[in-house]
Amino acid sequence: MTAPVAQAAAVSVPPAPAAARSTTSRSARSRTTRVVLGVVLAVGALTMIVPFLWMIITSLKSPTELAAFPPTLLPDEWLWENYPEALRAAPFLTYFRNSLIISVGHTVITLVFGAMAGYSLARIPFRGREIVFMSFVAMLMIPTYTKIVPQFLLVKFMPFFGGNDAFGQGGTGWLNTWWALIIPGGLSASAIFLFRQFYLSLPKELEEAARLDGLGELRIFAQIYTPLVKPALATVGLLTFQESWNNFLWPLLVTTRDDLRVIQVGLAVFRQLDGTAWNYLMAGTTLATVPMVLLFLFCQKYFVQGFANAGIK
Amino acid sequence: MTLTEPAGARTDADTPPPKRPAAAARRRGALPQGTKKLRRTGWLMVAPSILHIGLWTALPVLATFVLSLTDYNVFDAPKFIGLENYVEVFNDPTFRKATWNTVVYTFWTVPVSMAIAVVIAVMLNQKIRFQNWYRAAFFLPQVTATVAIAMVWLWIFNPQQGLLNGALSVVGIPGRSWLADPDWALWAVILVGVWQGIGMKMLIYIAALQNIDESLYEAASIDGASSVRKFFSITLPMLKPATFFVFVISVIGAFQVFDQVYVLTDGGPANSTTMMTYEVYRSAFQNFRMGMASAQSVFLFAFLLVMTLASRRLTRGDDE
Repeated sequence: MTAPVAQAAAVSVPPAPAAARSTTSRSARSRTTRVVLGVVLAVGALTMIVPFLWMIITSLKSPTELAAFPPTLLPDEWLWENYPEALRAAPFLTYFRNSLIISVGHTVITLVFGAMAGYSLARIPFRGREIVFMSFVAMLMIPTYTKIVPQFLLVKFMPFFGGNDAFGQGGTGWLNTWWALIIPGGLSASAIFLFRQFYLSLPKELEEAARLDGLGELRIFAQIYTPLVKPALATVGLLTFQESWNNFLWPLLVTTRDDLRVIQVGLAVFRQLDGTAWNYLMAGTTLATVPMVLLFLFCQKYFVQGFANAGIK
Repeated sequence: MTLTEPAGARTDADTPPPKRPAAAARRRGALPQGTKKLRRTGWLMVAPSILHIGLWTALPVLATFVLSLTDYNVFDAPKFIGLENYVEVFNDPTFRKATWNTVVYTFWTVPVSMAIAVVIAVMLNQKIRFQNWYRAAFFLPQVTATVAIAMVWLWIFNPQQGLLNGALSVVGIPGRSWLADPDWALWAVILVGVWQGIGMKMLIYIAALQNIDESLYEAASIDGASSVRKFFSITLPMLKPATFFVFVISVIGAFQVFDQVYVLTDGGPANSTTMMTYEVYRSAFQNFRMGMASAQSVFLFAFLLVMTLASRRLTRGDDE
């Protein structure tokens, strides 16, 4: 995809004499441009941030203050005790823990098995590799909603689980289990695809040398190539974690038990049960948002690189 | 990427060029043994992924097509009914409404958002202060959960105490119940979609902008081209591959809008915000019509596929 860039760059533009301009008017103009740019971007950025600030502000207000119209910009009284009270109103900590377990689980599974598959598809010339790879690519396009019904049925009729017999009848299968929350979402074709691209971009000389030295393929994978794609691991890991943490529909479908609820579903349930306690709801929402915001702020580089790499290649 | 090359190169170097039979023998002997083991390792490394993707993606997709031809409520055995579900999909006014809403939503959250995103990206690509902060701010909604974000917007749209009506009242505009008004609810859902989705589009554009050769702009400046002219004659054409990519992933994302509809409106009022995905959800998990839901999801998939292929054809032409 970078070809057109190179082509266009190769087109030579005949040098024309630079128009002489007074440097003062030029710098004045660029200063105005700069100010306009700054204002537009600041307004845009503020629009992005305001809902987050509003969420935190609301979570610290008292019910009487919430009823005021027009709303007060800052709380008269900063009620930090709203947080422990929200945790008592709904098991947000359990939801939080569940989300964390599932997200970490998905990330680990993806990093181990996705990287292995990506490596194999990129660097080992086994027979049928092209077919396997093309099949994975075909799976990239499949929308979640085109597989969700059978996935749900697979979970429900999982043989030998949840009271099911060998034909998947008689029980609830994986419904309301950690299996359903962790296994189906554990790997995605897109993660494997990304890993393949990353491994493909590494030089061949390393593996030649390693194979000559008699190193086994698994060691070449684990000790030589994988350390070189650490940024890629970070990127895919973060994207997986994010997607998993933010996932809503799947956990909504496969769990009904409160102790298995993830935080996104927990929020939706809390809103249905206690729709007017906006300060508690916003406290819970803050809890659901903070991990991703922190992760993003500290690992911005990898998020940015991830999208840049995944995007352009 | 072929691994037979290195072995061949090595033997060429330390042995005199062998006669044909000898080369053939070696190819069948020493080398294949290593290759065989390598192949097995290759398969073993990819096997867990094949199993997983096979069971949780490939099989469900096939099953969706089969199920779409049945009448199935999970409790009784599925009954084959041919294309009846599809006939209903095409004739159901609610699903037609859902399709239209999805298209409207996609129009605003894809091409329109992309236009905004490319402008922001170009602005952010200048050397300005707080560049990283702005970029982080624009991207922030993208990394946070749609459900959580939709909760915040639900509160902002609140007719009695919401921030939006509060802000409007300050400037003297009467507020309204945005989410309860069939004329406005879809706009509220779209606003949230645009707000959340701009960051990623912008980020991909920024990455693509950084790949554009600076000398192109220098040459254009020497020729006296204005900034606007440079934007349309250099920047936009150079961003074509990125545009195609952003378009495809954004359309796929937009067609799967669900979370904010679930939180903000439940598809209402009067189906004014229901989406294709929401109808799939309703058919399958509220009405237990698995066959119907499958037919709807096949329709969704087909629609998406056609859009992607069409956009590919549109952008391909002079790319290669």
